[in-house]
Amino acid sequence: MDQIESILQRPKLYNNIDGVGELGTGFMLLGFALLSWLQARSPAGAIWHRMDVFAVWVGLMLLGIQYGSKAIKTHITYPRTGFVAYRRRDSTGTAAIAFVVAALVAAGIALAARFHWNSALHLRLTTPVADFGLAFAVAYVFGFARAVRWKWAVVGAIAVCSAAVAMLPEHMLGAVAGDASAVGGISGVTAGAWLLSILAYGAILLISGGISFVLYLRHTQPPTQAVA
Amino acid sequence: MNQNIQRIAELDRVIHEPGRLMIAALLYAVDKADFLYLQHETQMNKGTLSSHISKLEEAGYVEVVKTYRGKIPQTLLSLTPAGRGAFEQYRKKLKEAL
Repeated sequence: MDQIESILQRPKLYNNIDGVGELGTGFMLLGFALLSWLQARSPAGAIWHRMDVFAVWVGLMLLGIQYGSKAIKTHITYPRTGFVAYRRRDSTGTAAIAFVVAALVAAGIALAARFHWNSALHLRLTTPVADFGLAFAVAYVFGFARAVRWKWAVVGAIAVCSAAVAMLPEHMLGAVAGDASAVGGISGVTAGAWLLSILAYGAILLISGGISFVLYLRHTQPPTQAVA
Repeated sequence: MNQNIQRIAELDRVIHEPGRLMIAALLYAVDKADFLYLQHETQMNKGTLSSHISKLEEAGYVEVVKTYRGKIPQTLLSLTPAGRGAFEQYRKKLKEAL
């Protein structure tokens, strides 16, 4: 029975066999990091703070990721190892559910840290960001790491980065965020922690996805004749 | 014990064969997949895979659609509602028997 269950999981794991899922998520996070940096480094009236610019930015990122992923799948993955159309209910994804559950748990921990444990102001401000990172690591386990053993190192890297960013000295985080405290009431420490976190997660996913993609190309052969 | 043996005898023989079980399980988890994907996952050669697919198709469990992806011929496979039902029944009976 276990073997049947394992076969039933294989198509879901096939989705990221080429690392495209991670590359897409990595690009998205780096895009958000760049936008956050531009917002933090520009005065309050700059275009980077406008909602329509934000919408266009997100739209362009999503279009790029959608068509980029589609191009890789169509021209590289499907001709090499085959095409799969997923059932609609699978597309919601266990990873998304895991992220929501983990985020709720993380929010609980953040509130506890804030009100019950009465921790230092700096850690109180950065705990939600670190918790987001831990929730992200849990989602990564369900989304990507179950398929390949070495990806557990990526989970560790995400968790370590989250903790490291939360513990960075206040002045460093404030320096990263620049004038963020002047915008929308967000503290410079929180903005700096957020910016550094998504930058780190984006870079980690991009590297991990890139390694998966190279390994995929090495271990699969391009088709020599028409597909049956 | 006797009942368990009887349950094993009641298992759907079309699906029970390991190669076909693998194909049915893979197709059960997706909407549709092409021949190349099944070949990649099952590691069967084209002839063996075709033969198993033909048996599943004869039983009405698998639908085979020949199409093109650009200029390249593509064989798309999916489980029919009967195939989905048969696979679910098979899993249920196997669970009871074990």
